[in-house]
Amino acid sequence: MSDLVRQPIPVPDEQSAAFWSAAADHVLALARCTHCGTRVHPAGVVCAQCLHPEPSFEFTPVDGRGTVRSWVVIRDSFLPGFRDEVPFVLVDVELDVQSDLRMIGRLLDGPDAALSQGDRVVTVFEDIAPGVAVPGFALEART
Amino acid sequence: MSGSFTARCEVAVVGYAHSVIQRNAPRTLGAIALETALSAIADAGLTREQIDGFTTGSLLPSAGGHASVDGVSIVTSNWLAEKLGLNPRFAAGFQGFGQLAGGVMLAVNAVATGAADYVVFHRALHNPRGVRYHVNPMTEARGSSQWTAPQGYFGPLAMIGLPYNEYLQRYGASREAMAEVLVEARANGARIPWSYWHNQPITAQDYLDARVIVDPICMLDCDIPVDGVAAFVLTRADRARDLPNKPVYVAGYAQGSVRRPRLPVHWPLDDIMEAGFDVARRLEDSSGLSLQNVDLPQLYDGFSPFIYFWLESLGFCKVGEAHEFVQDGGIRTEGGLPVLSGGGALGNGRMHGVPQMLECYLQLSGRAGERQISSATLGLACHSSPHYGGAVLYSSEPL
Repeated sequence: MSDLVRQPIPVPDEQSAAFWSAAADHVLALARCTHCGTRVHPAGVVCAQCLHPEPSFEFTPVDGRGTVRSWVVIRDSFLPGFRDEVPFVLVDVELDVQSDLRMIGRLLDGPDAALSQGDRVVTVFEDIAPGVAVPGFALEART
Repeated sequence: MSGSFTARCEVAVVGYAHSVIQRNAPRTLGAIALETALSAIADAGLTREQIDGFTTGSLLPSAGGHASVDGVSIVTSNWLAEKLGLNPRFAAGFQGFGQLAGGVMLAVNAVATGAADYVVFHRALHNPRGVRYHVNPMTEARGSSQWTAPQGYFGPLAMIGLPYNEYLQRYGASREAMAEVLVEARANGARIPWSYWHNQPITAQDYLDARVIVDPICMLDCDIPVDGVAAFVLTRADRARDLPNKPVYVAGYAQGSVRRPRLPVHWPLDDIMEAGFDVARRLEDSSGLSLQNVDLPQLYDGFSPFIYFWLESLGFCKVGEAHEFVQDGGIRTEGGLPVLSGGGALGNGRMHGVPQMLECYLQLSGRAGERQISSATLGLACHSSPHYGGAVLYSSEPL
């Protein structure tokens, strides 16, 4: 595939630079309000929990494990850069680190992996360009 | 949280017009909007010069990154007023989703407060040519899209696919149940002359055979992008009595909203339902009426799963049981709740909540012709998802 239809590369900004910098090292670092400790993803410009007038967030590593709440199988992507990747699975995951903190990512076990609500997953990273990694998920080994 | 609507039934819809719905119209959207607005004004028994208010919600609802050009891909209130040669006292656009309910709310508020006497509310929808509607060739993901597009999570089909699968898994619903929704929408749309799907009903098997795009969402779960315009005229109830058509009164309205931070276009099922319960309660508080008395609940169906979400959150069936309710014939116009009697977006084309509002108006004013449901007295027109939308209650009589 030519560069013209490559997968979208995230462009870090003031609110996201620390997240993508950690991701490049395969570390999941989520924003946390320094005033009340609430995690939020994506990082916002204010904390919806404490509404502190001087918002301040720090990005600290979190345990990337979580529980599958839903999923879809992309069979035809509206992003041309993913056309060679279909079919692929996207999972909607509630992270263990905080109740109702959700993250969506590709499930790297492939399109035929058997899935159920409540399945356990771990965060894994895909290197998509030099110095750029994107978080996804893999099913936790069932014991 | 509660509050009664002091303008209950003081504002009425007194006329309408609807263009033919086409995949790609041979004229610009603005030209169709002008003609449709003039037709609606004439239908209401008014002259152009009497119109002193304009409202709309003008969003082009595509993820494809198309340019929004006023008069071409969108039509704003100000554009329409200017091209009609008018200098209205009130012109406004609704900024959120749920543009149908939102635009009507702006019109009702303007009339009720005297900010305008005769308001044209219109909605113009466009299907850009030569490109796939939602395809976006982005190679860099900036701003909010950086959190989802690099993962391949993009566009409204994935957006609705997640809560729909959450529903399917939680309640054990089947694709056969959803086939009932599509068959009903298309059967009713087939009877509507201006519909894109006029004379094109489908069978349950057609639905089950449709191409799956974002599993569990198939082609037929989505309304088809079109060019089309609808316009309605609203005025005060006392003025309405002097006009030729039987007025249809606005009995109340409500909106829902998002309560917590989420990823872009991430719509967990519980967020949708929670807002839907808010909308239901606000509608009843606003109108003083019970939703159980609604005999014409026109639920939004731009994506078919919304029918389940609205049915359950508004209390027309129990939570988790909409799929069984539908499969048992619960939304068949013949013998059930006429939820899609106007064809909805699935049976007309991507006219947003226009089919829902129009069906309330036509039925409650007695103008539905051979489709007339004689018993209908209280209609509800929903638009969008409950947590990004709203609903308007319409009454055939002033209450």
